[in-house]
Amino acid sequence: MLEMKKLKKSFGDIEVLRDIDLRLEKGKVLVIVGPSGSGKTTLLRCINLLETPTEGEMTVGDLQLTFSPGTKLRKIDILELRQRTGMVFQSYNLFPHRTAVENVMEGLITVKKADKHESRSLAMEMLRKVGLEEKAEAYPYQLSGGQQQRVGIARAIAMDPDLLLFDEPTSALDPELVGEVLNVMKALAAEGRTMVVVTHEMKFAADVADTVVFMDNGRIVERGTPDEVFRQSANERTKAFLSRVSGTEPPVQATF
Amino acid sequence: MTDKQIQIFMDSLLPLLKAAVAFTIPLAIISFVLGLLVALLTALARLSSFKPLVWLAQFYVWIIRGTPLLVQLFIIFYGLPKVGIIIDPFPAAVIGFTLSVGAYGSETIRAAILSIPKGQWEACYSLGMTYWQALKRAVLPQAARVATPTLASSFISLVKDTSLAATITVTEMFQVSQQITAAQYEPLLLYSEAALIYLVISSVLSYGQARLEKHFDRYTAR
Repeated sequence: MLEMKKLKKSFGDIEVLRDIDLRLEKGKVLVIVGPSGSGKTTLLRCINLLETPTEGEMTVGDLQLTFSPGTKLRKIDILELRQRTGMVFQSYNLFPHRTAVENVMEGLITVKKADKHESRSLAMEMLRKVGLEEKAEAYPYQLSGGQQQRVGIARAIAMDPDLLLFDEPTSALDPELVGEVLNVMKALAAEGRTMVVVTHEMKFAADVADTVVFMDNGRIVERGTPDEVFRQSANERTKAFLSRVSGTEPPVQATF
Repeated sequence: MTDKQIQIFMDSLLPLLKAAVAFTIPLAIISFVLGLLVALLTALARLSSFKPLVWLAQFYVWIIRGTPLLVQLFIIFYGLPKVGIIIDPFPAAVIGFTLSVGAYGSETIRAAILSIPKGQWEACYSLGMTYWQALKRAVLPQAARVATPTLASSFISLVKDTSLAATITVTEMFQVSQQITAAQYEPLLLYSEAALIYLVISSVLSYGQARLEKHFDRYTAR
């Protein structure tokens, strides 16, 4: 479903991704973890070309793309790729001027040119899936963060993408709202959807991921099943990161 | 006021209102609508990554903002015939006012577009939308809300600026008030009467602005 070969991304002189090789089979869940600045969000954004890789190859389904400095991608390929992928953002990025159901309908009407009535009934079905049927006519500002993010998920799955991308979907949420979003994501994984998730929720990763990738400094440092990465890792950087996020390491002493 | 002054006031009300309806208001509306179109295209050109478009937009805004509107109207109406371009008074005024609204409005619209978070574009792109679809469906509707107070002010300014068209022989309301004054010699009375009508038109527009802002506020927390 997704394959990356020797993928590189630089912003000016700064190399953000270095020789990324990655494979993901249909129906599997890949979770990317790593410290901030490790390049994991950039990697995710390269998959739907919100960032254009500098070099390398990427295949999504039967769409194959080659990147090299100075050559531009064809618009048609970019649009095609984005129709096959759906993205859920850290800050939701709902359309504030549209109600929940209109947010979910937007891609169907504008991109898929679907009929308004059909779009609405499909959008309602998606909202039902994320448990927000009764909030269909609410504007985003009337919803909690967790509800907004669930609308964001409904908006992405309404397009029926082959691949779902999640960019730290719970990082902006109050702790008590994280669970409702993770539960929706678990249900999607159980449905057999192909997902790539960047997250700091290690428990979610352990429960749902088929593969966990640990990134540091623009490279994939380690990959394997959650058990291999989280419990049996021999890699110093992985272990240091995991103890930091799990809080087993003593906190840094503040000095005043 | 003397009875005679009241009589002059009443007698001139109809011709003034006629001039307002026949010239002042159409001149303002046509120029504003065309001007907004020019402003939007200029703002998009300024935001484009194609440098020549950016330069062209900057040059246009530089010229129009840097020279007086009255002088621009004189160039269009009295100047251009010297090079064989003869334009009737009303269209000449429309061109002058359109260019003015286009230049000032483009900066308002550009700022409004830039105020929309990048995440809105990305949400559109991630759904598979093109630049134009994202602009039309998500960015401009939100930018319109941001730009409304400033554009409404421009529109109100424009209504009053149409009085400059009197200088290029458009028989709009101010021109008519000058003509009546010449006959009656009541400048204070007649110019105040014209001012009053401008005030009424502007007040209607201010009310319209408030309604529009209320409409946009439906999706924001207050």
